[in-house]
Amino acid sequence: MVDRVGAWRRRHVLAGMMGATAALAAPSIGRAAPSGKPVRVGGTLSLTGFLAQTAVVHKIASEIMVEEINGRNGFLGRPVEYVLLDDQSKPEVARSLYEKLITVDKVDLIQGPYATAPILAAMGVAQRYGKVMIQSSMGIPKLQTYDRAFPATPFGPEPNVTYPNVILDALATFPTPPKSMVVLTSKFPSAQFMALGMKEQAEKRGVKVPLYLEYESGNRDFGAIAARVKEANADFLWVGSLGLESNLLLEALRKLDYVPKGSFHLYPAPGPLAVSPDGDKVLCSTFMEPAEPFISRPGVARIAQEYKDKATKANLPYTTLDAQACGMVAEWQILEAGVNGAGSLEDEKIAAWLKKNKVDTIYGSTRFDGPFNHGDAAQLIKQVQNKEWKVVWPTQFAAPGVKLMAS
Amino acid sequence: MNAARDLPRLGAVVAIGVLAFLPMARLPAFYDSFLYLVFFWVSLSTSWALLSGFAGYFSLGHAAFFGTGLYTTAVLTTKFGWPFLPTLPVAAAVPALLALGVGAIVFRLRRLRGELFALLTLSITFVIATIILNTPIDGGGGIFMSAVPLPAIAATPNGTIYLLGFALCVVTLAIAWWVARSRLGMGLFAIHDDEDVAEAKGVPTLRYKLIAFALSAAIAGAVGGVHAMYVGFVTVSGTFELTVPLYVVLMSVLGGARSWFGPAIGAAVITSLLYAFISGGEAMVGRAIVGVILISAILWLPDGAVPAAKKWLAKRRGAAAPPHRAQVAPVVTATKPIGDAILLKVRGVTKRFGGLQALGGVDLDVREGEILGLVGPNGSGKTTLINVISGFYPLTSGSVTVAGVEIGRLPAHEIAHRGVARTYQIPRPFTNMTVLENVVLAATFGSPARTAAEIRDEALHWIGFTGLSGKEDVLPAGLNLHERKFLELARALAAKPKLLLLDEVLSGLNPAEVDNAIRLVRAIRAQGATIVFVEHLMRAVVELSDRVAVLNEGKLFALGAPRDVMSDPRVVSIYLGKAYAA
Repeated sequence: MVDRVGAWRRRHVLAGMMGATAALAAPSIGRAAPSGKPVRVGGTLSLTGFLAQTAVVHKIASEIMVEEINGRNGFLGRPVEYVLLDDQSKPEVARSLYEKLITVDKVDLIQGPYATAPILAAMGVAQRYGKVMIQSSMGIPKLQTYDRAFPATPFGPEPNVTYPNVILDALATFPTPPKSMVVLTSKFPSAQFMALGMKEQAEKRGVKVPLYLEYESGNRDFGAIAARVKEANADFLWVGSLGLESNLLLEALRKLDYVPKGSFHLYPAPGPLAVSPDGDKVLCSTFMEPAEPFISRPGVARIAQEYKDKATKANLPYTTLDAQACGMVAEWQILEAGVNGAGSLEDEKIAAWLKKNKVDTIYGSTRFDGPFNHGDAAQLIKQVQNKEWKVVWPTQFAAPGVKLMAS
Repeated sequence: MNAARDLPRLGAVVAIGVLAFLPMARLPAFYDSFLYLVFFWVSLSTSWALLSGFAGYFSLGHAAFFGTGLYTTAVLTTKFGWPFLPTLPVAAAVPALLALGVGAIVFRLRRLRGELFALLTLSITFVIATIILNTPIDGGGGIFMSAVPLPAIAATPNGTIYLLGFALCVVTLAIAWWVARSRLGMGLFAIHDDEDVAEAKGVPTLRYKLIAFALSAAIAGAVGGVHAMYVGFVTVSGTFELTVPLYVVLMSVLGGARSWFGPAIGAAVITSLLYAFISGGEAMVGRAIVGVILISAILWLPDGAVPAAKKWLAKRRGAAAPPHRAQVAPVVTATKPIGDAILLKVRGVTKRFGGLQALGGVDLDVREGEILGLVGPNGSGKTTLINVISGFYPLTSGSVTVAGVEIGRLPAHEIAHRGVARTYQIPRPFTNMTVLENVVLAATFGSPARTAAEIRDEALHWIGFTGLSGKEDVLPAGLNLHERKFLELARALAAKPKLLLLDEVLSGLNPAEVDNAIRLVRAIRAQGATIVFVEHLMRAVVELSDRVAVLNEGKLFALGAPRDVMSDPRVVSIYLGKAYAA
């Protein structure tokens, strides 16, 4: 019985991987153009309000992916139509709009919104109507308690445990591994969640944490915080930052004539930090970058170029395919694989298929059979080298000739 | 006429009935959600208006009270295991207590009005948010509420949330309706227009502001409690955001913040507009269009949609409804003899403003039925003495008694309740109230409790008495200076005062108007009032006064019969320049 189940699983895994790989590599070869009544996929993004700057990245990625999917075979041979609504960066609006999409617009499928609070608001609606919901930006996996909610970004079920150890592993390769670490974080839920994990794991591995400090999300004045960081003078600085907070912190430290011996930044604005005079050799989280070996994955080069073109046209400040855009790309890849793999638009069947199969996404092979529907963690480390982000850790994901550099 | 009056009530009953049973219609869940959000904003904006719209204390801190309620429910349900419904009264009580605490301090400070109050309430939001963020209440991680069971009030969770939001909305509107029509509302509207005058007319301003603030905060807190369940995941940044006060202000201003129903209209319109442009392709353009619509509406309807609609309806009805007309009973002009009893006794009254001594130990008696003229050079302390007696300024030392009762340490509204009324040198009518409403307010708060009809008759009587008949429905802006001065008199008289303090009631009037005013003051005295009047017009002082008191440099300089005082060489030298009676 076990063997039969195992064989069944293997067959399906292989079928899914082969199908997804073929789909990514050859968008329109050997397939008829999708036809018939469109499959309507509804979703919201925070196109206005305080999250709008990031949501536009998701919107562009979605447009690219809908074109990609329709350039192949759509969903089950039918064209895909993305019904996108603006949740105004408000969870309560996100909730009501998902209700609209499901109960009034009667979309066939849904895609998740952006950011933890809207995702959780939408997840409740999805749960009430039994809809599959794939999301890419909820950094606290344990909150994803709905059985048919799937993560597109491979955080793994316990990123607060696994990712700090990836960082500590990387730091252990330095000629002088840090013996102490300041952990500083925004009180943004997912950043704080990771910071607490970093502190705990560092201490478990014998790295002292002389200063653990939280600041309010959106803080702009880092003078006092910088003074405390300088005073602690640890061997390494870990920052649970969002957006421009890292730039502001490093600038404040420079004003105090203090350059950290090494630093890591969780979710910074990638462009400004890369070109910042303070950004050299800083480390940051990533899941992929549009360079080798990732660019050789099926379809990635094309998607990266399309993204660059559309982002440039939309006057975005950072036009490189980044983690946010990749998350949305992966959402569509998973939905496409789920629908076509299950051979159905029924949420129950799509969810069942996803739980039993791996999907090749822009992040690599992804599975959903672990706790909270998460699979393996695949969080990597990138580093600013010559004003560009390079994946440096784990070493097998570093481009040829690229190495992790100690500060 | 009755049908026209009953139509809105009938409409309200039908609307409540239909909306209450809407979840049973099994409409798509979106409509439940959308209407819940309309109710949510109606309740929040109406609760904001209770203090900020009615009393004019413009608050930017509504998110603090909303958020306190929201977190009260979130914490009680998730960390203490309370069922959801019992948390709602606590979610209302906690912000109400917070508002009472803040108000008890802030409302005593006159300088904390206007923009300072707005900034202070905004800073309260930041303080509360910081506390919640940096303590185990939240700690930064947010509170996930998916495990909290929702009571099955309706067949679906959406229906339950809808009904809770609807119930709160109905209760909020009922409270706003009651307040707007009550003595409390009248006092709040007066506070909005001129708080000091409201206090002098007998409005217990501190108590009324505290009640309004607590009510406003309690409703916002209860709304927050329900909203915690609606959102499901509460975070500090998502709760204490600036858009909450900005939206409620915008909604209230659009609908009419002084109207009990105005914020509801504004909330419904703005929430609907926000949902009119939700398509991903038009999001930015849609928001811009909403912005243009709102700016246009505010420019065209500066007082709000509901007051504008009321004005328009009133214009249409215009000729059909007869205007208020004052009925004046014949005024007895026979002078009553001056009694022996001392009505006003001022002893050793001093008033200092920092290092400046405005009054330096004034002693003065005024007998029942007497008219005392109070004169003196500019800066001699006349108006300060009036302000001290009426309670506008607290005494530095000394005592003031009226009919044997010490009033020197009482707040102004309690002094008004003890029969002291005053007018202002520069008329200070309640600018958003009609002549009739101005006088009705004074009659309501200044004299013992009477029925609304009695108060209205009283007000109409004094309006006619002061020659303002026909102007009952006119706003003060539509009156000339003469009429405004007489409106001041009518308000003072409506309180049926024992002691009437007139501060330069004749200044700025032409000779004919002065004659008219002198006749009026005599008629007032004929009613039995005791009058202290500050005046520079010597003809009036001599004609009206039984005695004249001269103040100089904050001290009583001379006191006696008008002609004696006016011919006193010392008075001539400091004040008149020549012997007036010569």
